Amino acid sequence: MRARLLAVFLAAAILAVPGAAFGADRDFDRLVKAVETRFGTQPLHIPLMGLANFFVKVARPEGAGGFRLAVFEDLKFDADEDGAALDRMMASASEGLHPLVKVRSRRDHEWTYIYTGEMGKTARMLIATFERNEATVVEVQLSMDALVRALGDPAEAGKAFAR
Amino acid sequence: MPASFDKLAAKAEESVDVTLDSNMLQLAGRFLSGQDADQAKAKKIVAGLKGITVRSFTFKQEGEYNAADVDAFREQLKAPAWSRVVGVTEKNGEREEVYLKTSSGSQIGGIVIISAEPKELTIVNLSGDISVDDLGELGGQFGIPKVELPKSKGKEE
Repeated sequence: MRARLLAVFLAAAILAVPGAAFGADRDFDRLVKAVETRFGTQPLHIPLMGLANFFVKVARPEGAGGFRLAVFEDLKFDADEDGAALDRMMASASEGLHPLVKVRSRRDHEWTYIYTGEMGKTARMLIATFERNEATVVEVQLSMDALVRALGDPAEAGKAFAR
Repeated sequence: MPASFDKLAAKAEESVDVTLDSNMLQLAGRFLSGQDADQAKAKKIVAGLKGITVRSFTFKQEGEYNAADVDAFREQLKAPAWSRVVGVTEKNGEREEVYLKTSSGSQIGGIVIISAEPKELTIVNLSGDISVDDLGELGGQFGIPKVELPKSKGKEE
């Protein structure tokens, strides 16, 4: 739930960015499709996205641009039994992306994968977070300054997304 | 990194893998500030690096990993390609080791750090042109832990 709230919060904040880029959707779609297939579930429609303007006044992630989000519920993800299979699924679904961070926390029952896509003036980052009952797939376009800040402590960045 | 670390990840309460390849590092280096003293140092060091891999494991209890788990990796760090330049064991069981890889002549081709605590194990692999002194500058960045290096480098225990 925390990851979902964070994702919705980020999405709401980023919707205010003018000229947000939503290109390069294929990798995001592939990850979403992989989660759908693996867990036999569809991403939720998120009515809370309509509250974007409210959240935008509260916070706006520095350096963040285009944004896509998919939230899944009722996964029945058991880290002890499904962790290795999830690793394999993500390795296959993330082909062509650069794996940056993987955080596996049995304590919090959270698995987080962060990948980067093509980079130029901005960098595309894909984050997939799996909890016991929920999963979130996020694609975000970051400014290079924001990416460098994230690289300063990538593990913590990964944990922050997992929270 | 050996596949045996995947077994450790399966036992660990938390595991973190960080992978920064050459492209990512060079890109990050371009955007590190040359004006900020710390970033300028990091920028210079990163320019010579080909990759950074960090694997960190946190265990719930002591004894959930053992020396043999690390020995398999240590076997890869043998002379003449590798030499251990730091090996510190503390009374509380913490152990830090630093290995250097010589690529050609006296040029350093990489550094491996093994930091083993009773409930934590961290392995860092830095490939490329880097010195032990650079470790101090990179500690705390790019997922690399801060390593307390003895002032007289090259001495063991």
